[in-house]
Amino acid sequence: MKLDEAFRNYREKIVDQWVNYTLSTYKSSTFFKKEKDKFANPVGGNIREALDCLFGLLVKNADPQEFVAPLEQIILIRAIQEFPASVAVAPIHAVKHITREILAKDKERCHLVQDLYDFEFSVDLAVLAAFDLYMQCRERLYQVRIKEIKTGAYLLTDSKCPSNLLKINIQESIHTNSHSS
Amino acid sequence: MAVAKLEQLAKSVVQGPTMATGAVPVKDWMDVSAIFKPGNYAYQAKQEKVEYLNSQKGLHFPNAREWSPEDDDWKLPENWKEIILKGLKERLDKFRSLKIFMDCCVRCGACADKCHFFLGTGDPKNMPVLRAELLRSIYRNDFTLGGKLLGKMAGAREMTVGVLKEWFMYSYQCTECRRCSVFCPYGIDTAEVTMMLRELLHLVGVGINWILEPVSNSNRTGNHMGLQPHTFKDNVDFLADDIENLTGIKTNHSFNRKGAEVLFITPSADVFAEPGLYTAMGYLMLFEHIGLDYTWSTYASEGGNFGLFTNNETMKKLNGKMYAEAKRLGVKYIIGGECGHMWRVVHQYMDTMNGPADFLEVPKSPMTGTTFHNAASTKMVHISEFTADLIKHGKLNLDKSRNAHVKATFHDSCNPARAMGLLDEPRYILDHVVDGWVEMPENTIREQTFCCGSGTGLNTDEIMELRMRSGLPRANAVKHVIDKHAVNMLSCVCAIDRATLTSLMNYWNPGCNVCGVSELVGNALIMEGENRQELTEGLRTLV
Repeated sequence: MKLDEAFRNYREKIVDQWVNYTLSTYKSSTFFKKEKDKFANPVGGNIREALDCLFGLLVKNADPQEFVAPLEQIILIRAIQEFPASVAVAPIHAVKHITREILAKDKERCHLVQDLYDFEFSVDLAVLAAFDLYMQCRERLYQVRIKEIKTGAYLLTDSKCPSNLLKINIQESIHTNSHSS
Repeated sequence: MAVAKLEQLAKSVVQGPTMATGAVPVKDWMDVSAIFKPGNYAYQAKQEKVEYLNSQKGLHFPNAREWSPEDDDWKLPENWKEIILKGLKERLDKFRSLKIFMDCCVRCGACADKCHFFLGTGDPKNMPVLRAELLRSIYRNDFTLGGKLLGKMAGAREMTVGVLKEWFMYSYQCTECRRCSVFCPYGIDTAEVTMMLRELLHLVGVGINWILEPVSNSNRTGNHMGLQPHTFKDNVDFLADDIENLTGIKTNHSFNRKGAEVLFITPSADVFAEPGLYTAMGYLMLFEHIGLDYTWSTYASEGGNFGLFTNNETMKKLNGKMYAEAKRLGVKYIIGGECGHMWRVVHQYMDTMNGPADFLEVPKSPMTGTTFHNAASTKMVHISEFTADLIKHGKLNLDKSRNAHVKATFHDSCNPARAMGLLDEPRYILDHVVDGWVEMPENTIREQTFCCGSGTGLNTDEIMELRMRSGLPRANAVKHVIDKHAVNMLSCVCAIDRATLTSLMNYWNPGCNVCGVSELVGNALIMEGENRQELTEGLRTLV
């Protein structure tokens, strides 16, 4: 049994788990997971569409440039939601573990786990590309703010990047937890 | 082991701070408190603005002070709770709709997934049903027998500072767009619940600057930006100069002219900010084209009414100014420009607040003879209704090819669409001024249109991420027509839209511009005696 055949057989299952995992990062995710209409459910619909597309590229070790379009579809959304950068990007990484877990559970195919190096390397490249995109989105967002300032219909402010502040909060809580344990 | 790794990854993800509140989602909603951090709230109103408004006749904005939502102590009046509960009682007695909305919700959930704030954030308190429940839980506790007897079991809870903070958080994560109300089988207007929450908060001095400063400016000089009469006039004159440079046509407009047939009122943003400027140029050209006897006013120089986002009395006062000016100038009726909430105020509230405007005449187009019976009481006709009627009667000389650079789609602005049913007139105009414009998907247009995400005074930059989240459903539908039909222009009939959709597009769909429908009309008009330059981008062309 070859790896590409296993990918074909399990594509739907892997992508499904990947989508569910990603959408579980939202506080109230039942609707995001359930509704399939992309216009009624932009977060769920876009993430489902993009992850499915991305999976197809990852398994054929496509040129990382091709990752950009589906990744952008996801990261544009997550970069302006209240996630620190690591959390915004983390779900891209999850497909590695999901794939390993699914293959390992299949007695006929568990030996294929050792052949996953190329696939996992593609995932690593996708995660790195996602960080680039995350930064581009944040920068774009600040350009939007600057443009609003220039149009004059607005009051100058000095607010900080909320995403960065969230990261500080997380570090503080990790710090506190490690002290208390 | 692989599974353990995934769990670890999940832990860092799922247990990280979640949407809006930064809380971990393991508690009952009543136990999750609102936490204010930079970026998740609009700035509090400045003390001097609140003081000024409170000093004005007929307005009530108490408890002016320096405070911050991020502080634990919001410096509320000592008897704040009494004020809130008394305020709620007064409103339950005064507004029958509020009492019904509090009582009749069966929590069916039809509205839950219809709110653009919920769709963009995934925060359950942005489900309209739960947002209303923030108030309803207090209503049950203090005003219903079931709530008094059964407490939390009946969905009741006591009013606390925590609840008040939650009100502030979520009544400013609602743009009162009323999409949810379209789906409510009982016809509950959740926007009016948000309005009540905001009214109650103002009773104890909790409000945002982006609303109260424009309100105080409007009260003082007549428009949001505080432009004084000469500045307002200069701005309109500049636009007329631009028209002359582009087309060779000198427009014959006037200000504060007594005895004009029509008073024209539009959002002030149209005369001072891009891209609204081009829409205003469209108005000037249209009126010149048909030779309308009209005047601008430098006093009623604002169609927008941010009073709607504060309280009943302020809305009434700002709306009254338009009619007082119409009376002073002795016009027959008013034509209103492309504005959003101005039309909600005019169609839903004006008549019982300041109307009926019996001193004016029922609007009748001098060019076509059409009487606008829909405006029989308010005496105010929408520029799109007026223009569509002109086109229908062949009164406009139009050349679609002058909009060849435009591949348009149309965004139904929430208030004109859902509060006054203006659905077909702008579409009719587009059919006649541009070639092959396209619709967005069915569940994102007309009555089901998605809000720009920044209405009701939320178009301030300190909450830019929040605005991008709540605007996602709209932007997502625009992206679809960009990908499918190479759309490059998002047209609309609202000044707030023109400002906020521009930012929304700059983030989600760079390269897609935003315009008012009247700009496209202006582009297409063949003016008598024109000496038009090669305008490859219509009125936006730099020459």
